[in-house]
Amino acid sequence: MINLLKRLMLTHGVSGRENLIREAIRKEVEPYADEVTIDAMGNLIAHKKGSGKRVMFGAHMDEIGYFATHIRSNGLISVAPIGGINLISGAFTGVVSENGAVGVLGTVAKGAPDADEVFIDIGATDKRQAEKRVKVGDSFVHTPSITHLMGTRYVGRPFDDRVGCAILIEVLKNVKSTENDLYFVFTVQEEVGCRGARPVTYSVEPDIAIALDVTRTDDKGGDTLNVSIGKGPTIKIKDASVICSHELVLKMRELAREGKIKYQDEMLSRGGTDTSSMQIAKRGCRAGAISIPCGYIHTGIEMIDMKDVRGAVRLATLIAERI
Amino acid sequence: MNEERKKQLLCELDKICSILGPSGFEWRVRDYIRAEIEKNMPSGAELFTDKLGGLYLKIKNEGAPKLMLSAHMDEVGFMVTEITERGELKFGSVGGINPLVLCSKRVVSENGIKGVITSKPIHLQTKDERSERTEIRKMRISIGARSRQEAEKYVSVGDYFTFEHDFRVLSGGRIASKALDDRHGCLALLNAIRELAKSGKKSRYELYFAFTCREEIGVSGAWCASELVKPDYAIVIESKAVLDLPSVGEARAVGALGEGALISYADGGAIMDRELTDRLVSVCEKNKIKYQINRAISGGNDSSNIQRGAHGARVALISAPSRYIHSSTGIIDYKDFEAICDAIYSFITAKED
Repeated sequence: MINLLKRLMLTHGVSGRENLIREAIRKEVEPYADEVTIDAMGNLIAHKKGSGKRVMFGAHMDEIGYFATHIRSNGLISVAPIGGINLISGAFTGVVSENGAVGVLGTVAKGAPDADEVFIDIGATDKRQAEKRVKVGDSFVHTPSITHLMGTRYVGRPFDDRVGCAILIEVLKNVKSTENDLYFVFTVQEEVGCRGARPVTYSVEPDIAIALDVTRTDDKGGDTLNVSIGKGPTIKIKDASVICSHELVLKMRELAREGKIKYQDEMLSRGGTDTSSMQIAKRGCRAGAISIPCGYIHTGIEMIDMKDVRGAVRLATLIAERI
Repeated sequence: MNEERKKQLLCELDKICSILGPSGFEWRVRDYIRAEIEKNMPSGAELFTDKLGGLYLKIKNEGAPKLMLSAHMDEVGFMVTEITERGELKFGSVGGINPLVLCSKRVVSENGIKGVITSKPIHLQTKDERSERTEIRKMRISIGARSRQEAEKYVSVGDYFTFEHDFRVLSGGRIASKALDDRHGCLALLNAIRELAKSGKKSRYELYFAFTCREEIGVSGAWCASELVKPDYAIVIESKAVLDLPSVGEARAVGALGEGALISYADGGAIMDRELTDRLVSVCEKNKIKYQINRAISGGNDSSNIQRGAHGARVALISAPSRYIHSSTGIIDYKDFEAICDAIYSFITAKED
């Protein structure tokens, strides 16, 4: 599974520019799904047909990054952040464009930079040279990486939310016989306001929708109540954007206990996930989420524990088969 | 020939901007547009409305992908919330308006009652008041009435007001008016419909021209448009606030007046579909239509809800770079407006990409 995660993490996919990561995921799911489609916004939908309840699992493909907005006469590139970027962690680190142009994010700010105080330097000496590698509208990300630390812990980026995508792919592979009509959707533009999840849910019309994403943790200075890395995946009760279906939360806990899967309760005071958009699309559905505790979210050193990831795969598989 | 067209379009722009149509009160704009379309309907065309008041022209082309072109009919304005004992009107804004642009402006009600927004003359201001931020709740509309009883003869609570119409063509072909946001977009659509009727050209799309409501109060009319049409592609024609002023740096300026139709890869409300946006750019290139690429991610419009409504749609945004938007006098450049007209007509009649 770690190799799958690596492949996904090292593939480019800023919000609105998900074509490369979508293609990578399509290759992974195609052998296991009955049907794979792509909608107008670019959401990838893998369908495993059944006659029972329609259950949709979702993870977002997109990652935070930058769009080039203007190329200056000296060859530096003005950018607009896409998604909630921590510019303190972002400044003075490497970036790479969707076309493979390598550069660094520079700033002249003394303290925490504002969005218009940063720029990308690809080593061009003037505008004309820069334009050979980068067009206005191109996307950049902070250089992706994944490093094994002690035990089962890994650090790098973007675990948010390629880890959710990897879990979905594993569940799709693992699911044995079930009546349930299963959809695995890989959504676009979550990082800019859960934009892709709404139309895809409108099309799928699930009875139950469950998002897989990362969540903040207390042991790394987050603001959840008692969520730690390594103590199991979480079953979300609420975050700033959604109150999960209580009935679904109870059912998810029951299945976790039956499967002897260690889980944590998640009450997040800020932040949101696709769950919010899934819950209210079209006629609405019973929506919930499973999260992977993740340290230092939206920086270059996001940290997770593979134990939590494996727990999430088992829990989601159980839900897919038995809910 | 071109001068003839310019004269006609400017005359029409004056007319369409003059109509009072704040969000929720678009019917007069709708009636005007409907009448204009009915004068010369393209073949296979059908007019219909949604329940919020949006107007649509569908040009049938069964089996073809659906392309929706949209502009919003509403403008920013005011609503009377209370009539005071002294006969002055308390009001709230309809849409986002900077209170600084309101002092001493002429306004007019839906029933044609003229008024002026109050302000305190500098002679009577304290030192602090000169630097204080003005608030709408402290302002009043004065219609000249001396008592509540007198005011109530002319105005009721809930009545709409907008800025008074005063259309001007400035030197160099720039246009100053209220409501340019987004009546220029409505006129660009009208113009495309007319040109289609005249030329008899077929589009490779099934076309929907959507004139939406309530954009200024939370892009709600776009939900209706999306749900009703369920387009595959959508191009939104809008006004984009720019700051091409000497005090603002090159990169933050968004765009510049007179430099062509402003095409955005993203704005504050939506990341546009790249393929559709690239196609719009290439249509401009092929037809030698002047365009510029938006340099900042700011503002939002119908494109956000059209993108995410129903099953989702591929959206693009083309705007007239506009100064002093949401005030009594916005300014756009005729050249940019004409470029938008040409770009959308060329796009819908293009045979191939």
